[in-house]
Amino acid sequence: MEFDLKTIEALAPDQASLNAASKLTKRSNWPRLEQNEQQALIWGECQGSGSNPYRVVVDTGDHGYKCTCPSRKFPCKHTLALMWIAATVPASFAAAESTPEWVNDWLGRRRKTTPPPAQSIPGPAAKSIDEAARTDESAAVEDIAAVERREAAQRKRAEDTRQAVSAALDELDQWIADQLRLGLSGFVDGSSERCRRIAARLVDMKATALAGRIDEIPSRLMALRSEERPDAAIRELGKLVLLAKAWRSAPDDPELKRLVSTSETREQVLANPDARQVESFWEVLGEKIESRRDGLVSHSTWLLDLKSTTPQFAVLLDYFPASAGRRSNAFAPGDRFDARLVFYPSRKPLRALVAERMGEVISGAWPDFAFGAAKDPLAAHASYQDAAPWITDCPLMLPPGAILVDDRGTGWWQAADDPQGIALPIAGAVNQTLLGLDLAATAALWDGARLDLLAAQSGFGRLDLS
Amino acid sequence: MNEGEQTGLATMRDCWITGGTTFDLAPTAWKTIACDASPDEQERRLLAIAAQALDVALRPAAPKTLKRRPPLPRLSPPMLPERLRPLLRAALKQAADARRKTRVVTLVASRGFVLHPMDWMPAASDQNSPDVYAPWIDWQANVDGERHAPQDNLTVENWDEFYPAARCIALADMRRSEPASARLLIEAKASGESAEVRLALIELMRFGLKPEDAPFLKSLSADRSGKVRELADRMLARLGEHGRPSDGGPDDPATELAAFISEGKSGFIRRRSIYTPAKLKSPAQEKRRAELFETCNLVELAARFGATEPEFIGAWQFGADDNADIQIAQMVAASGSDAAVTHMADALVADGGKPALLVLHLTPRLDSRRRRALVRLVLKQANYLSAINLAEGIDAGWLEWGDLSNGQALAALRSAVAGNDDARRRGADDILETIGFLATATTAAKLIDEVVAAGMPPAAPSLGVLRLNAALAEHQSLTDT
Repeated sequence: MEFDLKTIEALAPDQASLNAASKLTKRSNWPRLEQNEQQALIWGECQGSGSNPYRVVVDTGDHGYKCTCPSRKFPCKHTLALMWIAATVPASFAAAESTPEWVNDWLGRRRKTTPPPAQSIPGPAAKSIDEAARTDESAAVEDIAAVERREAAQRKRAEDTRQAVSAALDELDQWIADQLRLGLSGFVDGSSERCRRIAARLVDMKATALAGRIDEIPSRLMALRSEERPDAAIRELGKLVLLAKAWRSAPDDPELKRLVSTSETREQVLANPDARQVESFWEVLGEKIESRRDGLVSHSTWLLDLKSTTPQFAVLLDYFPASAGRRSNAFAPGDRFDARLVFYPSRKPLRALVAERMGEVISGAWPDFAFGAAKDPLAAHASYQDAAPWITDCPLMLPPGAILVDDRGTGWWQAADDPQGIALPIAGAVNQTLLGLDLAATAALWDGARLDLLAAQSGFGRLDLS
Repeated sequence: MNEGEQTGLATMRDCWITGGTTFDLAPTAWKTIACDASPDEQERRLLAIAAQALDVALRPAAPKTLKRRPPLPRLSPPMLPERLRPLLRAALKQAADARRKTRVVTLVASRGFVLHPMDWMPAASDQNSPDVYAPWIDWQANVDGERHAPQDNLTVENWDEFYPAARCIALADMRRSEPASARLLIEAKASGESAEVRLALIELMRFGLKPEDAPFLKSLSADRSGKVRELADRMLARLGEHGRPSDGGPDDPATELAAFISEGKSGFIRRRSIYTPAKLKSPAQEKRRAELFETCNLVELAARFGATEPEFIGAWQFGADDNADIQIAQMVAASGSDAAVTHMADALVADGGKPALLVLHLTPRLDSRRRRALVRLVLKQANYLSAINLAEGIDAGWLEWGDLSNGQALAALRSAVAGNDDARRRGADDILETIGFLATATTAAKLIDEVVAAGMPPAAPSLGVLRLNAALAEHQSLTDT
């Protein structure tokens, strides 16, 4: 590997990037570090602040690089950290005979350019890798008084936020009552403007997460047929009422706080002794990447626990600014890995973080879930709703069934042994080939009106439907 | 949720849609929960209950018109191994159009695998994908799925029990083994089919076309469809027969076309006729000549000069007018006899140079040996390498390393890959994709090494088909051992 610290110093966009990179050079941040000497490539997966790991690849020959993080700095701290590890502890990289698919994708897209001369810029913009390395060691020792002052300020900020959120929910209550009085027909027609207005008020009053949810109501309504929208509006607004009431009764509840104002940090979740931890084999069922009205892109990766005999799911959820451009996926559907996940505390834990990756797992069929007894494919949804009635998207593992179409071309999932029974409408267009396949098990998200297919097992093997 | 609650919910819902208070309309149990609050709060509480009722207690009503497709048939060859599917998807993604995608599918079929239906499905109108996919083509075409393809031989009696694609494949097989029986079957059943199906059935007569087929083809001169009549005429022309005899007068198209061709003499001792395209004076003339080449038959045109088809082709002055050369090549492909087609192909390939590329128009009618000879020639000459992208109907997986290294092809590819000319690089990408289809697995692997050494990124998308080709062999050898 052809890295020295001077090169990294020269490539770094600023001193702050070097400082940040130095904190990521610990081996524990990198569940995967590999190299292919023939192709002069090193790559790795860095567990950053997001739920999904960032994938970083560096061409050691010409110093070309790619990272899946949304940073606008080039190279980002993850890339610098990977180079730094390569320069200082090259033995950390396991030799790989072939390059993974995501590295191949990057290689296929990139155009080779002549590397710019790596020279340090003198003057005020100069960067020092020594200084970055020292940053960690020279963490200032705060005195007790300062700590107390900081904690007091934090408590005051928390109290201010709580009061602001409480006022925001009062305003939301009034807004909901107004919508009912004025009629849901008008609400559906003008939902875009009306939701934007109240969402803006909620942001001002620190109920940021709730504002984001309300901002998405119009697009959720518009995804349905016009005759379904009033019912959907009742469901959406009714859930807001329940969420507001629940928060008032327990404003410090971490789940409710997360849904109304702000989420815990990754470090807080990992440090929480009450957070549920599951070490298992996980399969990536699929990814959902949605642009939101608040300018963020939500990126959710749905996972299935392969060691559990009942369907157990987890979702890795990240948000990043839409302006950061299209982001490469962290996982490919069907990927399997051995990992310890830590779940965000909640009544029905779904959102999780990858705390530790132990390695890859060979592909195969899903566990044999016992579907026999449950006749109702939405039983799991009802159970989620009983525990946390504010949940909108609920993961389901549907029993053997098939996809059918109605006169309008909408797809419906129906259980194989219940042809006259419940059928669930599918969101979006259905791949016509799917209509000829018997599905042994189907993983999907149910939002109360539509089924969003993720993956299925069939006589033709695993089907990627996301 | 009981019936009373359902009725209450429906009335509350209607009230909320138009706007207003619903407390009085609510079911009694719900009222109890909502009663001790302000009017606004009452509505919110009822809304929360209604939301949960809609979410949990009600289930979507399935329309009675839900239709189920018949199960997708399983194909007999094994499915492409899971680990090769990413390579396949990359190759399909790189293939720009249906024709190139079909080449990828054909390559995989030539190694004994079929694709996963979620990776690729033939269209209902597909006529170029490997025969093994006929059940899927029929599945695509047959929306209701009432018929089932029988395992028996196709006969007049079981004609309707076959799906169209399966029927075409059975007929094509019959034309190769028992051409007369197949003709009798087509003769008996074609008239009852639509023009589109009739055309496809008559098209099958090209397999094993013999003079015995002429009476049936002549009978088609009265067919309702103009396209069928034209096709029958072209087939008759291939047999050296005239479908609709012409009078030879000045209005006759063949006579008109002959006027666009100058006859001359060449040679000092043995004077022989030569045919050269006349110099055209206007785009209108150019257009008219193209139309005439399309509608006339080679045998009729040759007859205007008192020559046989091979004599006429042998005396044609290739290289004098590129457009006329292309038009006559297309005419030979459409209506020339088998002898004329092979004569033209052999002569042009033997002479080499640019005119040899005209053989590309004849490839659908050439046998496998001649098609391969053409590809080898194009690769050897290397001046018009991109011409191999146009070749039709060529087998997959036969091109050996010697075929590539015996000439300038490799050097030209290396130079295009290493250079900075984007247009040349794109051209090289297309050629690599085509060679990916034609090459043996060993050749594919060697060629990847060669172009990577020349500077192409190892994971370049244009190497997709080559990578798949090489990997398919690896897998085969693993399963064989």
